[in-house]
Amino acid sequence: MSKIMPPTAKRNNMRKPLRYLVFLLLVAVLAYNSVYFKKLDEVKAGSASFNAVKYASDFWNTKLIPTLNKAVEINSLLSLLKTDKEKAFKDHSHALGIGNIRYFLIKGSGVVTDVAENQVSVQIEGVAPDINIATEYIFGNAVRDASGAIDINAFSNSMDFNNVSAEINKIIREKVVPPFKSNVKKGDHVDFTGAIELNREHLQTNNLEVIPVNLKITNP
Amino acid sequence: MDAILNRNNFARFQSLIALFLLCLGLSILSDKFLSVSNLWNVMRQISANICISTGMTLIVLTAGIDLSVGSVLALCGAITAGLLKNGIEVPANNLYIGFTILGAILAGVLTGSFLGAFNGWAITRFKVPPFVATLAMLTVARGFTMLWTGGFPISGLGDTFLYFGTGWLLGIPVPVWISVLVVGIAVFVTNKTRIGRYIYAIGGNESASRLSGINVDRVKIIVYTIAGGLAAVGGIMVTSRLDSAQPNAGMSYELDSIAAVVIGGTSLSGGRGSIMGTVQGAIIIGVLNNGLVLLNVSPFWQQVVKGLVILLAVIIDKSNSKNE
Repeated sequence: MSKIMPPTAKRNNMRKPLRYLVFLLLVAVLAYNSVYFKKLDEVKAGSASFNAVKYASDFWNTKLIPTLNKAVEINSLLSLLKTDKEKAFKDHSHALGIGNIRYFLIKGSGVVTDVAENQVSVQIEGVAPDINIATEYIFGNAVRDASGAIDINAFSNSMDFNNVSAEINKIIREKVVPPFKSNVKKGDHVDFTGAIELNREHLQTNNLEVIPVNLKITNP
Repeated sequence: MDAILNRNNFARFQSLIALFLLCLGLSILSDKFLSVSNLWNVMRQISANICISTGMTLIVLTAGIDLSVGSVLALCGAITAGLLKNGIEVPANNLYIGFTILGAILAGVLTGSFLGAFNGWAITRFKVPPFVATLAMLTVARGFTMLWTGGFPISGLGDTFLYFGTGWLLGIPVPVWISVLVVGIAVFVTNKTRIGRYIYAIGGNESASRLSGINVDRVKIIVYTIAGGLAAVGGIMVTSRLDSAQPNAGMSYELDSIAAVVIGGTSLSGGRGSIMGTVQGAIIIGVLNNGLVLLNVSPFWQQVVKGLVILLAVIIDKSNSKNE
């Protein structure tokens, strides 16, 4: 005996496969537009991995060293910070992120007053107290960012970007500091160029630490 | 006049009144607050929270809670970013599976929905309290995020992907459009559909709902699935806005979303509340965050103020419940 179905149930039963078909079609269209397939070795050949050592070395030689002549004299920077803080930050500082921490590429010369394990203190005429040149703990992004010559958008991820900073600091630790540290003594006259970090909101210029880029003992 | 000022009307409009007073106070204290760019910035920032809080509202309406949304947000953002940037490598078959933006976003949303469904399944199948089940998921999802990212951010996702978090459409930020769409659908579902009525009914009286034939477990699983999917949408918006999937993204987002729900007048015991109330709550939290930053309040004090605001909202909610 055939089962008698109300017209609405019949219609619903007919609609069900149609609904599944539409759903499957939708899934197929989405899937087709969602993924693509390639040979792995072709993809790998096309994307050479980032070489932070080479990048840092190139950056050091072709971008950072040529910009050292643009470094601001520490005396004039400190004077400007006292008279017009905003102008000092606007004209001479760089930073890649938002926030109050900004970096300055500075230069100066003075007389060595103390040679400690971690730093060399230098007295600069017209600047008090002494400025400390870091010779042991070279960390952070001060040198990379202070020049303003690096573009964050050129990096595909922040790990590569941070590795560049680490490699620049390594160059300073291995090439800039050792010849200076082994020869410098109290009373020496030195020229230096380097990067300092200042907080725009909570400005503190009493205990400046310079991460050096170029150091010269210039005794007469 | 008496009717306007009576207690019930005050309760109904309390979050709007609070928002108005907050905006008034901040516009007096900071000249930057009422600038157009700042207001758009606030809206852009709260869009992710609105999406998450919309899902959280549905859960809280069923008398549940989801503590895992922040971690789910981070995982889904990381999965979207990871698939978009790196695809999947199958060295055994010399195969590379690349993902388009659509594919990566779909994968992120499906992951969030799956984790939400798992929460719902654990809660209904094993009668695990929602607080405990989602607390476990909070840790699991955060762990998977660390495993997936290796503890490092995934950045450089391309200009087209950034459009979802930073772009503008018809003079309005794209994230705002997305949150408006999410809210619109959620308002329609809660007010005009059968499952919307079931959600309120379950929160009001679960036993009565079960006895009246509502498949309570099914509705709960659907609600947790939706909340997981919306957490994923929030995660994709945050990842797009920052052009980076951070392994520690979404930390304490669950608290912000619960705060938005509570401040918006949804009862933590379920059955009472609305999506639009939650939107107001999310705006209050966003404006409060923005205002405290503009006023240079220390981040430590910001936490204290936010906590006190949430406490105040719960006290007012309890007081309203008693009066009803």
